[in-house]
Amino acid sequence: MKILRLDLIACGPFTDTAIDLAAGTEGLHIVYGPNEAGKSSALRALRHLLYGIPERTPDAFRHPFSKMRIGAVLKSARGEALEVVRRKGRGSTLRHADDKTAIEETELQHFLNGVDADLFATMFGIGYEDLVRGGREIIQGGGDLGRLIFAAGSGASNLGVVLDELQTDADTLFRPTGQKQKINEAVGRLKQHRSVLKESQLPGQEWARHDRALKTAQAQKTGVEEKLGIAQRKLNRLQRIAEAHPVMARRREILKGLEAVAGAALLPEGFANRRTEALTRLRVSESERDQALAALSNLRMSVAGLEDPAMLLDQAEGIEELHQELGSQRKAAKDRIALETRRNTLRTEARQILRSLREDLTIEEAERLRVRKPEAVRIQELGAEYERIATRIESGREKIPEYTRQIAGVEARLSALAKPRPVDALKAALALGEEALPLEQQLKSVCTEKQALRQACEQSRARLGLSATSLEELGRLQAPAVETIRIFEDRFDSLERRLSTLAEETRKTAVSLSETGHRLEEVRLEREVPTEADLEAARKLRGRGWGLIARRLESEAVSADEQQLFVRSFPGAASLSAAFAASIDKSDALADRLRREADRVAVKARLLADQAAFTEQVKQLGEELAAGRAEKAAAAAEWAGVWRPLSATPRSPREMRQWLQDFRTLVEKASEALKRSVQCEALQAEVDGAGSELGRCLEAMAEPSAVEAETLSGRVKRVRSIVAAEEQLGRQREELVREKTRFENELESASSRLQANEGELRRWQKDWEQAVKPLGLAADVRPGAANAVMEELKSLFDKLREAEVLQQRLDGIERDAEAFMRRVKALASAVAADLAARPADEAALELQRRLTGARQTQSKRQTLQKQSDQAQVKMQQAAVAMAEIAAQLKGMCMEAGCRLSDDLPEAERRSAQRLQLEARLRHENERLLQLGGGTAVDEFVSEVAAIDPDGIAGDIERLKEQIQQISAEKSELDQAIGRENAELSRMDGGDRAAVIAEEMQSILGGLERDVQQYARLKIATRVLNLAIERFRQKSQGPILKRASNRFSRITCGSFEDVRADHDPDGNPVLVGVRPGGKEIVPVEGMSDGTADQLFLALRLAGLEHYLDENEPMPFIVDDILIKFDNSRAAAALQALAEISAKTQVIFFTHHRHLVELAVTRIDEAVLFVHGLG
Amino acid sequence: MFKFIHAADIHLDSPLLKLDAYEGAPVGAIRGATRRAFENLVQTALDEKVAFVLIAGDLYDGDWKDYNTGLYFVSQMGKLREAGIPVFVVAGNHDAASTITKSLRLPENVRLFPADQPATARMKGLDVAVHGQSFGSPAVTTDLSRLYPPAVPGCFNIGLLHTCVNGREGHAPYAPCTLDALRDKGYDYWALGHVHQREVLLENPWVVFAGNTQGRHARETGPKGCMLVSVGGSEPLSLDFRPLDVVRWEVAVIDAGGAGRGYDVVDRFRATLSALLARSPDVLSVARVLIDGETAAHDELQADPERWANEIRSVAVDEGGDHVWVEKVKLRTRPPVAKLAKPDGALGELLSLMDELAADPEALRGLGSELSELEKKLPREFREGTDGWRPDEPGWLAGMLSEVRPMLVQRLLRKRAAE
Repeated sequence: MKILRLDLIACGPFTDTAIDLAAGTEGLHIVYGPNEAGKSSALRALRHLLYGIPERTPDAFRHPFSKMRIGAVLKSARGEALEVVRRKGRGSTLRHADDKTAIEETELQHFLNGVDADLFATMFGIGYEDLVRGGREIIQGGGDLGRLIFAAGSGASNLGVVLDELQTDADTLFRPTGQKQKINEAVGRLKQHRSVLKESQLPGQEWARHDRALKTAQAQKTGVEEKLGIAQRKLNRLQRIAEAHPVMARRREILKGLEAVAGAALLPEGFANRRTEALTRLRVSESERDQALAALSNLRMSVAGLEDPAMLLDQAEGIEELHQELGSQRKAAKDRIALETRRNTLRTEARQILRSLREDLTIEEAERLRVRKPEAVRIQELGAEYERIATRIESGREKIPEYTRQIAGVEARLSALAKPRPVDALKAALALGEEALPLEQQLKSVCTEKQALRQACEQSRARLGLSATSLEELGRLQAPAVETIRIFEDRFDSLERRLSTLAEETRKTAVSLSETGHRLEEVRLEREVPTEADLEAARKLRGRGWGLIARRLESEAVSADEQQLFVRSFPGAASLSAAFAASIDKSDALADRLRREADRVAVKARLLADQAAFTEQVKQLGEELAAGRAEKAAAAAEWAGVWRPLSATPRSPREMRQWLQDFRTLVEKASEALKRSVQCEALQAEVDGAGSELGRCLEAMAEPSAVEAETLSGRVKRVRSIVAAEEQLGRQREELVREKTRFENELESASSRLQANEGELRRWQKDWEQAVKPLGLAADVRPGAANAVMEELKSLFDKLREAEVLQQRLDGIERDAEAFMRRVKALASAVAADLAARPADEAALELQRRLTGARQTQSKRQTLQKQSDQAQVKMQQAAVAMAEIAAQLKGMCMEAGCRLSDDLPEAERRSAQRLQLEARLRHENERLLQLGGGTAVDEFVSEVAAIDPDGIAGDIERLKEQIQQISAEKSELDQAIGRENAELSRMDGGDRAAVIAEEMQSILGGLERDVQQYARLKIATRVLNLAIERFRQKSQGPILKRASNRFSRITCGSFEDVRADHDPDGNPVLVGVRPGGKEIVPVEGMSDGTADQLFLALRLAGLEHYLDENEPMPFIVDDILIKFDNSRAAAALQALAEISAKTQVIFFTHHRHLVELAVTRIDEAVLFVHGLG
Repeated sequence: MFKFIHAADIHLDSPLLKLDAYEGAPVGAIRGATRRAFENLVQTALDEKVAFVLIAGDLYDGDWKDYNTGLYFVSQMGKLREAGIPVFVVAGNHDAASTITKSLRLPENVRLFPADQPATARMKGLDVAVHGQSFGSPAVTTDLSRLYPPAVPGCFNIGLLHTCVNGREGHAPYAPCTLDALRDKGYDYWALGHVHQREVLLENPWVVFAGNTQGRHARETGPKGCMLVSVGGSEPLSLDFRPLDVVRWEVAVIDAGGAGRGYDVVDRFRATLSALLARSPDVLSVARVLIDGETAAHDELQADPERWANEIRSVAVDEGGDHVWVEKVKLRTRPPVAKLAKPDGALGELLSLMDELAADPEALRGLGSELSELEKKLPREFREGTDGWRPDEPGWLAGMLSEVRPMLVQRLLRKRAAE
């Protein structure tokens, strides 16, 4: 992340102040503010921007909490930009640049790469205090490498402090051998409580028993105490008197003794000691003087008795040389025997070898047998060549039969293999068959389609009632046009309408007719309404009667039947006259009624007219209806005629319209089905053609031409496998033929090679004869034998040469021995004539022994001389001491008032006796004063003297016994009372024990808390140390390398290097190295400033190490250079400038001179200075 | 119409377990809690003028040897004797183990039922039959109720029994019996003891655990006391729970979810505390405070748990005075998801190492070995019934490690955090 701009909108002393940090790749940005300009506020603002403004902040003195705002433009490593404004508050404190809409914190965190506030402050911030603390840690931690690497990698400058605190915190809680630590103390308290609890708890005993026992004991005790008082007082008095008696006797004795030493001088303390010491010293001095004298005379005698060794000592060098040489002489003598033996052995062996080769030659003549080097080499080469040729011939002879056998084998396999049949025709047919395969597939699908279509047609046909018609005929059928159907439809419709109208009218007329009939019936039933016809009929009947009467009157014959007929027309009339009268009445009555009931008559007449009209109408309608129906039947017949060609029975035109549509679909489908059938046949013909071609070819090859139900694809498959099998057979044959040819070639070449080798062998034989001739060997000798002879010869000449060398050494030894003997003789004759005749080695030894003796003598003489000098000094010292002591003794005699020192002991004794007696008298007087209980001594003495001493002892004894008895009684009672009291006091139902148990629980509660905290601290320590070590192992290399470089530059070359080393305990530590590697500086030896710089170097190295792997974060530097001198400050700024290539560096400072330094020393492309206030 | 009291599991003089005293804690208020609860029982009996008192076992703690406890009981019973109130007691498993029970001479108004067989007690002028049998040994595993006599006709029959019934979690399975068997006895009321949690098992007949009279540790939460039973007249039997406890154990869960800082959590505790005080105004509440939830204050809290426990306690002292005691503060918070990103560099190494250790039981035991010196010094009492010390268990060690993590990070990064 990079901060492009920091907007101090309202915080601390700032109002709308922007710091533009966008310049540079990342850039070293120095933010300079003199004191009071708000540098610290700006620094805080930067952190608060990213992580929120804390509840309590010192930056709200100008702007109130609610108005505080810090803004920024940020850019992530991925190039995204974000502009934010931070306000102070409790939630949603992050806003967009408009200061209105909130931004999720996660959006900002996206820019922070998981670096939280603490980590940012620690890892990406460094201030002066960190630097000092880090430097201090380096020195105090002794350069502990792990801690330094960890601090560099985390920015934690207080690592040592953390570890110490963890330890201290744990130590305050617990130490294995401690007492005062919280846990130790709690455990101790628990232990105490446990025992107190045990004491406080009471066993269940009977309260009454204790109570009773207590009361009895208390009463008894009162009596016993009284008795005891009386006896005690008596005893005291007697005891004092008894004690006074011996005191008085001793006093008398002392007074007597004092009289005897009344005049003695009182000598001071230590007088006797001083005297004894002086006398002792005197005696010591005398003795020393005497010893010195005696020693002196002895020494002088010893010196006189010693010989003079000068002559031998003069020749010491020669003697020692001989003695040293003696050793090598003796060794040479011993070697000589071994050398002679060896030489003789070699000569004997040489002779033996020679004899085995040539018996005729002596050892001296052996030289004739020596073979020259080239000849020997020639023989060896030929030997090796023979081996090669022989091997080749042998392998050739083995190979020839092998090849022959393999050829026979291949031929056998070849003849066993069947001859392949020709398949070219079959393959051609197969190609055709394969081409036809898709046709077969197509045939299948066309057939299926055809089948489906036919089925659909059958169904439609059945539905349309055309089952009798074949599909082929369908197409030919003449179906009526739709228009025809419509005409018929209209016609039928109009006919139908007419018929239904007629039927309706007929029905209505019939109803009217029947209604008219009903009403006529009603009129009739109401009372027969006479009609004109009735009157006419009645008048007619009357006329007929009148005729009869008239005839009778006229006496015409009137048949009885006529009469009878007339009479019967009037029931109740017995005679003609009566009947005639009745007929007159009736006609009159009718005429009257007709007149009277004229309305009713009219109604009836109308009804009757209506009835007649309706009846007529019905008749007419019936005719019309019949005509309509006939017309309809004709239309129907015509309609049926239309459909006859289709032999379909037509239903209504409307239905037939649908039918026609279905019919047309059917016709289409049928034609489609027919088309498919044709296709099917064509395809089938093609497929069959291909199949039969294959069949013909198969027959030609005597394979079955067709297998039952074999499809074309099945046959093609079968043919393919036949073709493949035949071709496989062909390939196998070819393979075997190739193999046979190869073996035949091999055989031929093997035979010719064998011939060549045999020629070679013959040539070799000639060369070999030439070569072995000098060895005296026959031409047919084998190379092995020739080599053995050459070996023997070599051994022979080796042995002879070695024997020669040995002989030369033996001669040398002989010469040396003689020279040595001569030198011994010469020396012996010079210093010890008695040795001249002795053998040289003995003489040399004796000379050496004598020389040693002479040297000892010389050393003894010197010692004796030194001792006699010392004895003389001692004698003089003793004399001086003796004189001093004599003077001291004289003074002491005067003090004691005596003449001689021998009298001093007596004077001392008397003085001491007087002193002692006086002291004892004082003591006895004091004792008497005590015993007398304050009475004056003399007075008490006379009182005691008056009492008989013999009786007292008895009285005292008796009293004592008595008191002892009473006391024992009392003590028992006291104990009993105490016991009972204690028991009872604990049996009051109190809660002492319970309270203790509660306290124990409280201690346990605290203990649990402390123990857990202790566990946390211990685990933390362990884990932190593990992490330190692990991080060191991982990152030590890269961090140290960078730190070393930085440190060297920041110290301006004062140090060349820092590197890992080990302290005396073997722990890895960091040390500085001076230029040239001459001087190693442990961190304790660095100045505070240098240690600070070392910490800075490590921190920068750690940061760079982090940046290798992670996205950059701005590095905030707070005035760390104030204690650096100018050159080191410049170097440190340069380091920051370099870091700024990887991440933005923001350097806050109060110091003008640092800014100036930066401006003069740092590349301006990297450096950007911003002023505050 | 008469009333009686049914109580059980008094455990006189047994202390409240592992209460860590802190500055300002109401130490005096927890003293002798079981005794004061028992005094409340006696006072209730006197105030309510009950006809008799039933104690269904466990008057004492089994391993408690102080005879004074017995004497104290006798003195309290004396008050009931003066009021003419008889007391019926069966010995429970703890009483059977107690030396006090064996040697204590009880006042004549206290009737302890025999242990060898069930017995029935009657009272003058009251048609009540109390049937009961004591525990003769600390572990009675037979069904004592089986031999209880049949109900006395015309009487109100009470069964006094110390039992686990058909098993209750956290309680030894002593004198097991079935509810069917109890029902079949034909009694009117079964006064049960042994289970410390109050419970009405049946209403016809009444089968009731009165619970203990005073909670003694963090798992015995809520009000504790006795049953005041009213019988007779035309009314049906009525059951009235009377709290007697003087110290009440509570669990106060603080949801720290969304809290920004440690002090926000403390403020939330303040609110929870007032609710708790309002709920139990008359007794001392001993609260275990559980802080839970996903919060940005996680690191701050975990970095110094002791400090925040003290903050919480100080609020308790301020607001609750003598009415509340914070027993323990347990942190179970989680960091917000966004904060889980792990930094790189040395600190990342430390965090990765901790993750690795936490997943490796062997390595965890290795950490546990750091505590072996301490382990040797810890006394027997400490190990009894503690879940705060398991240095040989990887799970416990992993928990410790998760607490160590923020503490360590905070100590390492302790820099201008507050600026």
